[in-house]
Amino acid sequence: MKGTYLGEFEEVVLLAVAIRSGDAYGATVVTEIEQQMNRSVNLGAVHSALNRLGEKGLVTSELGGMTAERGGRRKRLYSVTAAGRRALQEIRQVRNQMWESIPTTVWT
Amino acid sequence: MTPPRLATRLLHLFCAPHRLDELEGDLDELFQQRVEQVGLREARWRYIKDVLSLLRPSLLKQQETSNYNQPEYRTTYSLSPAMILNYVKIAWRNLTRNKAFSIINVAGLALGMACSLLILLWVQDERHVDSFHANGQHLYQVYERQYFDGKVYASYFTQGVLADELKRSIPDVQYASSLEWPVSTTFEAGNKINKLSGTFAGADFFRMFSYPFLQGTPETALSQPAGIAISRKMAEQFFGSPDKAIGKSIRYENKEDLQITAVFEDLPVNSSVQFDFLRPWTDFIKENDWAKTWGSTDPVTYVQLRPDGAGRPADALRVEAKIKDLIYKYVPKNKGFLVELGLQPYSEKYLHSNFKNGQLDGGRIDYVRLFSIVAVFILLIACINFMNLATARSAKRAKEVGVRKVVGAARSALMGQFIGEAMLLTTISMAIALLLVALLLPAFNTLTGKLLTIPYNEPIYWAILLGLLVLTSFVAGSYPALFLSSLNPIRVLKSSIRFSSGTTFFRQGLVVFQFGLSVLLIVGTIVIYRQMNYMQTKNLGYNRENLIYIPIEGDLAQKYDLFKEEADRTTGVLAVSRMRESPTGIGHHVDDISWSGKDPNLRTAFANTVVGYDFVKTLNLQLKEGRDFSSNFGTDSLSFLINETALAKIGYQHPIGKPLDWGGYHGKIIGVLKDFHFNSMRQAIEPLIIRLEKQSRWGTILVRAESSKVKEVISNLEKLSKELNPKTPFTYQFSDQEYANLYRSELVVSQLTNSFALLAIFISCLGLFGLATFTAEQRTKEIGVRKVLGASVTSVVALLSTDFLKLVLLAILLASPIAWWAMTNWLEGYMYKIDIEWWMFALAGLLAIVIALLTISFQSIKAALMNPVTSLRSE
Repeated sequence: MKGTYLGEFEEVVLLAVAIRSGDAYGATVVTEIEQQMNRSVNLGAVHSALNRLGEKGLVTSELGGMTAERGGRRKRLYSVTAAGRRALQEIRQVRNQMWESIPTTVWT
Repeated sequence: MTPPRLATRLLHLFCAPHRLDELEGDLDELFQQRVEQVGLREARWRYIKDVLSLLRPSLLKQQETSNYNQPEYRTTYSLSPAMILNYVKIAWRNLTRNKAFSIINVAGLALGMACSLLILLWVQDERHVDSFHANGQHLYQVYERQYFDGKVYASYFTQGVLADELKRSIPDVQYASSLEWPVSTTFEAGNKINKLSGTFAGADFFRMFSYPFLQGTPETALSQPAGIAISRKMAEQFFGSPDKAIGKSIRYENKEDLQITAVFEDLPVNSSVQFDFLRPWTDFIKENDWAKTWGSTDPVTYVQLRPDGAGRPADALRVEAKIKDLIYKYVPKNKGFLVELGLQPYSEKYLHSNFKNGQLDGGRIDYVRLFSIVAVFILLIACINFMNLATARSAKRAKEVGVRKVVGAARSALMGQFIGEAMLLTTISMAIALLLVALLLPAFNTLTGKLLTIPYNEPIYWAILLGLLVLTSFVAGSYPALFLSSLNPIRVLKSSIRFSSGTTFFRQGLVVFQFGLSVLLIVGTIVIYRQMNYMQTKNLGYNRENLIYIPIEGDLAQKYDLFKEEADRTTGVLAVSRMRESPTGIGHHVDDISWSGKDPNLRTAFANTVVGYDFVKTLNLQLKEGRDFSSNFGTDSLSFLINETALAKIGYQHPIGKPLDWGGYHGKIIGVLKDFHFNSMRQAIEPLIIRLEKQSRWGTILVRAESSKVKEVISNLEKLSKELNPKTPFTYQFSDQEYANLYRSELVVSQLTNSFALLAIFISCLGLFGLATFTAEQRTKEIGVRKVLGASVTSVVALLSTDFLKLVLLAILLASPIAWWAMTNWLEGYMYKIDIEWWMFALAGLLAIVIALLTISFQSIKAALMNPVTSLRSE
């Protein structure tokens, strides 16, 4: 593991991989993020994030089969590792903790 | 509905190969999706953005991270070091194996490039003449456009009062100055006597033009009466150094003492105006009454326009419109004779100085263009050699191409290889060309009268060399590269290569083109040579053999009568006279000539000169009627000689004794001269009027000598001159030499075209020689069989030669009309010219054929003489 810090965009990409699990590769991750977050994402940014996640051991990848709609090109399928799942959960937990620590008076 | 190809290619270029497939798949899938969602335009745009975003180091890493692409299966890229080494090795082997072809190629390209480089240097130099003035963009030269007799003429001759008037009445004119024409003048200071060339200029002259000063200031240099501004060279000649010269006095023409007000740096070679001294215009006007009038023109006028508030140059067209009709304030406007003023940017004057129908029309720029084209042509001919030989010999390289293709060379890699080879060859040629240029430059400088140097220190020069290198290798290497890389490996490896008719046609086309260009240049050479010859030998209407010019200087002005008397008595002298200019340079024009019955609206410019007794006799002019000026008829001071053109203008039936009025002189015509040439052959003969004057402060003494006694006459004249005019060194010139100088630039052009034509035909022949060698080699077997079956040597030689001769003939046929058109155009610049005759083309064609035949025959005879046994045995 290179480092445990997870950047905001990395987190989003990791989540998208989890959502699309089984069918997560560059293009689907991009579409997923675009749909979920309603913002446009560069393919390069996604691939770069996937690379980093791979180096941190949060995702693994393998080459999938060829499909006709990609002009017979293969895709690299990503899946979240156990460490990845832990990292996501940890983030969520920290967030929840922080949410709960907000005094109720703030909002009123 | 395809993604942008350029972007895909970019990805292929940079992306790590093992990731390419997957990334491209992603891109493609997203693209298809987006086309449906947001439309094609946006999708393509996003595609490009994605590709660019993929170009990041982490994704470009060549390192394999997965295991699907094992190192042992990796392909060798065409740009890997091993392959590059291989290319260089193969190129070198090819060069050394075919020494003859390599030498032909290198020699042709080197000559072509050397020639282009020389021309480039010359063109650069021509373009930079007069470009060094700091106020360059505000400087203009005034020209006058005259309408009379239904024709339009324009010239740089202007009135002596024009400059001051322009500055006074036109607010846009910041400075203005006249400039007379430089003349050789004698100076004396201390015990030194020297002749230097210089003239008169207005007080603003040095403010306008950037000639650096060593002593004095540009503002005051020409404002003091009896002052003189001199060059460093002149200062050093007389006083040793510029600071010793300032304020000193110097004797001018042994007539008056002038005070040196300024010393300026010697003029750079690239200044079109050259002088060693300048005197104030105010002094000129004192001595020359005509320069105060609007009726006479002679000097040139320069103006500097006032820039606008932001320092931008003034709009010359607007100013031109303002000054166009300025003359009419002083000269009544009439329908028969109109004068308009025009402005020409000063920096353009050197290259654009010819007028045609009153409009600026070319000049030296024609030669700059002509030689630029010639440079391109010669380089092209050399490139064609390369293309031709490379494709012709491609049979030998075809197997190599086949093998390379089979083991997976892409077409682009092969093209790169062949262009690279061309580049290697071009680089060698360029090195030789540079050497040649360095060697030839001194000779080229003598020929062109320039001081060209190779600008080693200027990066732009190296950039141009590099550009030339790349351009040449692409032009020369592109066709062989395209052709060779297109070969089909199966056909090439299975059987020997057969050229399609298209390839042969193309190659033959190139030979035709080459020889066409050569024929064009040969015709050009012949025509230019004939025209030169025509101008040099044409009967000018006077005899220019054994005619000696002696400038009237110093005491000769007063003692002319004595000089003539003494000289007339000298043996070998046939006649002595005098004129204000020389017979080749009558530039003064007047328009105040009138005669009885003249249309009051008609105003015509007459060229004019002022001469001494025996003028007609000395020049050997032909009198149509009447007589020469002669002291036997009492005073001839109110008599005029006119030429036929002038008579035609005046229209008298019986001109002798008829009245004629020139300015203040009311006189009569005493003789009509047959037309003679007193200007360049470019101009028509103008109406000329000649007046007698007994005293003249300057001009030329004309001495007609007996042909066998010229040397004797000159030494006698020198003695006489020393006696009468001790303060001035004796100088003289022969009329025919002076006349030849008139066409110096044409002579240079003629010599240059000669050399270029020679070069062009030589390079073409190199190529032809190479092709002939190749064909003879190709057809060795065929010739062997023919000989066995009884063909004679002559028939074999004929067989080999006719193919090439057909091409040369076709080239002649195609080039002749173009040559005719081009040369007709060139000759149009001359009023008096030769006719283009058919034999010129015949001669050029014959030359081309003979040269081509000689070139081919060496190879074809060698092939024909070969023993069939040897040629048929080897298999």
